[in-house]
Amino acid sequence: METKINETLDCKGLSCPMPMLKLAKKMKGMKSGEVLEMLGTDPGTKSDIPNWCVKTGNLLLEQTDIEAGVNRFVLQKK
Amino acid sequence: MSEQPNKEKGILSELFQTFFAKHWPVWVGGILLGVLNIFLFMIKSPWGGSGGYNNWGENVYQAVGVLGIENATPTSASLYGMLNIIIILGAFAGALLSKEFALRIPPIGELIKGFIGGGLMAIGATMGIGCSIGGFFSGIPALSGGAIFLTIGLFLGTLVALKYLLWEMERFPGFSSGKSRTFLAASEKAGNWQIVLGWIVILIGLVIAYTYFGNNNVVMSWFVIIGLMMGLICQRSRFCIVASFRDPFMTGKSSSTTGVIAGLIIGLIGFTAIKIFGIGAGDTALRAREMTWVFPHFWLRAPIGGFIFGVGMTIAGGCAVGALWRFGEGQVKLWVAVLAFLLISPLSKKFIVPAFVDILPQNLQYKNFMPDYIGYTWSVVIVLAILFLWYLFVKWNEKTGKYSAY
Repeated sequence: METKINETLDCKGLSCPMPMLKLAKKMKGMKSGEVLEMLGTDPGTKSDIPNWCVKTGNLLLEQTDIEAGVNRFVLQKK
Repeated sequence: MSEQPNKEKGILSELFQTFFAKHWPVWVGGILLGVLNIFLFMIKSPWGGSGGYNNWGENVYQAVGVLGIENATPTSASLYGMLNIIIILGAFAGALLSKEFALRIPPIGELIKGFIGGGLMAIGATMGIGCSIGGFFSGIPALSGGAIFLTIGLFLGTLVALKYLLWEMERFPGFSSGKSRTFLAASEKAGNWQIVLGWIVILIGLVIAYTYFGNNNVVMSWFVIIGLMMGLICQRSRFCIVASFRDPFMTGKSSSTTGVIAGLIIGLIGFTAIKIFGIGAGDTALRAREMTWVFPHFWLRAPIGGFIFGVGMTIAGGCAVGALWRFGEGQVKLWVAVLAFLLISPLSKKFIVPAFVDILPQNLQYKNFMPDYIGYTWSVVIVLAILFLWYLFVKWNEKTGKYSAY
């Protein structure tokens, strides 16, 4: 079953800390249960986002390499 | 029959995965870097970053023939100039072996921030005599009183620049968005050339070390080997001094801070032993060994430089060493930061620092070695107490989110 994506955030090319800052800001403005798709190329986010989700209680639904160098994260707001 | 080789391959690839499939915990990186920093001090002198950038810059200006620089040490003969190059090489190898290398070109606004950040780091490091590495990661274990003030400056500079980044994101979100490009990236299935190239890069590093050994420059040989390891460790553990100051106030994450604290404690133990017993002093006087990495910036010169450096490293998204290993990983924003750092460092040394130093009274810029005033025991106890309080604060803050922006 395909998850319904409410919003997409493009962080390709950005270096730390911009992806995390943008992600945190975006999630702050979303409603509980809404789903955000984030695309990024910073290797740091591969461990930062899962850790951040554990800490904040938001759900990490998916983490995949969609194409060369681009990671896709799907998060659901707590 | 065909089972056996497969199984062996399984074991070997498992070993490889241990190092290169996932990031290492930052504290693992911190401890390893602390130990290697002790090695550098035993062999010659502790880890430093900004001196190497300045050496690169002087060589560039000498080659072009401006600024009137004539006696720049060739980078191939400069311990810290080489150390920085080899750290990039080590990080490049680490990124390749884990297939994390890619040329990542950010939107133009980010490149501008990289340049400004790198330039501010150059000005801060020359003003404060020391950067995030020499003035902090090595300066604190060296029991330098000035290093404590430099650290306060770094900390305040980081907070101010973080406020700026948050403000910029609210008011001008377009500055960090726009067209970006990624080249040469690998994926799970494709891009195994990165692993092959990674081994070649490591081999190149070892050949460089061997060449110096053959030329009887054993110290440089060690610096090359240690630099190669440092770069790889930084990249795999994402050891980041900016994050150690910034993250508790950003997302509340404490792991970068605990990693840096771990490295500082290891360094402190080793450095103190080296200084008390004069280990590796060779021909140098015991007193000179004690005063190693204690710079004439106590007290006001240190926090002023540290503050400027702190603003710079936070805007650039990497400190003196963070910029190097992210350079090796292919983050073009940090290429620009490194370029600005090396170009502006000699300029700052020649024009900005002399003007500034003349205004500052002499009693605000002298060497302060803490054990001279309170003895070794109390110096170590006080530094440990500060580190412990810092640790308690970031752990408590991570749980409560009291001071985090998000």
